[in-house]
Amino acid sequence: MSSEKKKQTVQTTGHAWDGDIQEFNNPLPNWWLWGFYATVVFAVIYWILFPTFPIGNTYTKGIMNDITYTTADGKEKTSHWTTRALLMKEMQEAREKQKPFIDKINKSSYKQIATSKEQSAFAYSAAKVLFADNCAGCHQTGGAGVMGMYPNLADDAWLWGGSYEQIEASISKGRKGSMPGFKTRLSNAELNQVSEYVLKLSGHKVNAAQAIKGKAIFEGTGGCAACHTSAGTGQFAMGSANLTDKIWTVANVPAAAAISDKRAAIRKVIASGINRDMPAWNGRLTDADIKMLSFYVHQLSGGK
Amino acid sequence: MENQNTYNYKVVRQFAVMTVVWGIVGMLVGVIIAAQLVWPALNFDLPWLSYGRLRPLHTNAVIFAFGGSALFATSYYAVQRTCQVRLFSDRLAAFTFWGWTLIILLAAITLPLGLTSGKEYAELEWPIDILIAVVWVSYAVVFFGTIIKRKVPHIYVANWFFGAFIITVAVLHIVNSAALPVGLFKSYSVYSGTIDAMVQWWYGHNAVGFFLTAGFLGIMYYFIPKQVGKPIYSYRLSVVHFWALISTYMWAGPHHLQFTALPEWAQSLGMVFSLILIAPSWGGMINGIMTLSGAWHKLRSDPILKFLIVSLSFYGMSTFEGPMMSIKTVNALSHYTDWTIGHVHSGALGWVGLVTIGAIYFLIPKVFNREAMYSTKLIDTHFWVATIGIVLYIVAMWIAGVMQGLMWRAVNDDGTLTYSFVESLEATYPYYIVRLLGGALFLAGMFIMAYNVWKTIAGSKPADEAIPQTA
Repeated sequence: MSSEKKKQTVQTTGHAWDGDIQEFNNPLPNWWLWGFYATVVFAVIYWILFPTFPIGNTYTKGIMNDITYTTADGKEKTSHWTTRALLMKEMQEAREKQKPFIDKINKSSYKQIATSKEQSAFAYSAAKVLFADNCAGCHQTGGAGVMGMYPNLADDAWLWGGSYEQIEASISKGRKGSMPGFKTRLSNAELNQVSEYVLKLSGHKVNAAQAIKGKAIFEGTGGCAACHTSAGTGQFAMGSANLTDKIWTVANVPAAAAISDKRAAIRKVIASGINRDMPAWNGRLTDADIKMLSFYVHQLSGGK
Repeated sequence: MENQNTYNYKVVRQFAVMTVVWGIVGMLVGVIIAAQLVWPALNFDLPWLSYGRLRPLHTNAVIFAFGGSALFATSYYAVQRTCQVRLFSDRLAAFTFWGWTLIILLAAITLPLGLTSGKEYAELEWPIDILIAVVWVSYAVVFFGTIIKRKVPHIYVANWFFGAFIITVAVLHIVNSAALPVGLFKSYSVYSGTIDAMVQWWYGHNAVGFFLTAGFLGIMYYFIPKQVGKPIYSYRLSVVHFWALISTYMWAGPHHLQFTALPEWAQSLGMVFSLILIAPSWGGMINGIMTLSGAWHKLRSDPILKFLIVSLSFYGMSTFEGPMMSIKTVNALSHYTDWTIGHVHSGALGWVGLVTIGAIYFLIPKVFNREAMYSTKLIDTHFWVATIGIVLYIVAMWIAGVMQGLMWRAVNDDGTLTYSFVESLEATYPYYIVRLLGGALFLAGMFIMAYNVWKTIAGSKPADEAIPQTA
């Protein structure tokens, strides 16, 4: 019924295309037209209130919308409304909420943080996200690292020391873990002998004669002991690995089943050396962030 | 039969069939990269299978190969029939087909090889860009040449939209792709810094506005009244929304750069013009859907009409959603989340995909000299498979996007962040699986279509249809 009625009142434009395509000439729907006007009215109001129009080298700043905020270094600034000022304001609010906790963290020793329920809870929750956003890309979310590339932070071995202060130094200043490659300095036979000895250090059953020759190289001509010590236990000061603790982070000895494959894994590392670089974070994170991260990393492995 | 008394259907047939082929290719690549987001190992450590290289292949294949071929096919078909005259030049029309197909093949080779200018939706390197410009100008000559020699006094509204799309895309492509070559496969944009970003999104947004909106509104304005068999609802509305749409779309690009180094005033302009765009965009939806007024029952029995009308519902939804997302407060939550991906796909699958599929189902029997498609039932099956796929896809991305936005900005009472980024990624996995399923369903629909099209055209004796004499 209604459509028939429409046909009587609404005319087509009288044109036809491709045989049967025609057009009615219905008026613009009112709700559509008023909706359109409403968006235009909104736009005009918005243009007045917020920065919108470029004029020469500057632009309209908007009115009644100034934002006052304090920067991270304590300077108070007032700006016309911008999304950047809005962000600064939000950052300031978060900073103010954190401040009482951060102040305490800055003043406390690691031991005090660990024994204060409030401070350790704050340090843990802040560092959990700091770690996942900044460290986990290499060391993985759980801190397990990647064999051959990024040290495992959750095991019992520490290359540079596992005390709070040593961890803090590692994070803050970064670390360059390097061992020269020996493939030009040692012959093939010598490389095999040293590898055999390194296997012995970590308690594997080895060819005794080979290992004795390897020991001589380790402590003598090869110069391994200069960094790893003659006992093979390594030194935190140099980041040289403890070869006696049965924990491997570069040569994937545990993954190899046969003893010859284990030796090959070690040999490969001795021949080509290690060159690892962890960046320094002291310019990128605050002192408090690094402190909380050190606390977090320390407890990942139970700490030393 | 190839003479001035017939329509040129050959080029329409070529583009129509390639629309289906490129649809399958583009969407298959989409399904592969959706799977890679769930199982990253699926790149098999091969650089040319990695996400970063396949993603531009997916977007280019779907927008320019699938969407582009559909626009060529439908605009060549509609412009001839509504002008009652054969295409301006058969040879130039054939050149646009082979040229466009060559461009797509070059894209399919160079993008996986990592040859890219790094501009989103304009990744192809400068030699291919020049080829695009040449083919596009030829397209314009064929299209407007046909309009000029038309045998009917008035230019039909579908042709306004096709015309605006062709002119604007030429301008967008040439300005945004301006670059200094430093080798055969390497060039640097002539713009730098924030200006480069702004030119890029002026291009990017208007590629959406003119390639994916104005062009496909041209399809809508021809194929809906044809399929419904009723006049367009309102000539007046078509005039007003056409001019409103093309004059406001150009300004909305900066909303892609909210909360960036782009000057605040430019961000504001982008936002308010996006809001003003709602009504002009909706004009097309109203005109299409209201054309069906009084013939709603046809939706029950005609699956081609289902495709066309439901595409308009998705069009209306995403052209409302877009302006909402451009509001700075909303954008603060939505930007960089999967909500944007959901929004794009409600437009790309829901609007562009469905209206294209509907139009191609209409077109194939006409240009291959058949009464109808091989199976109407399969069209209906395709409709439901595709629609369920879209709903799964966009709902998954809405939930994922809002969740990501909320997780990223969540702050504890003590001012520390509640979640790390990687936790939000972990939480997104289930939705990535649902998205993969939705995308796979949409792709499955395309295979149903390919079968139906194959059965329709196999053994057909296509002929160019005679042009009726003007009264």
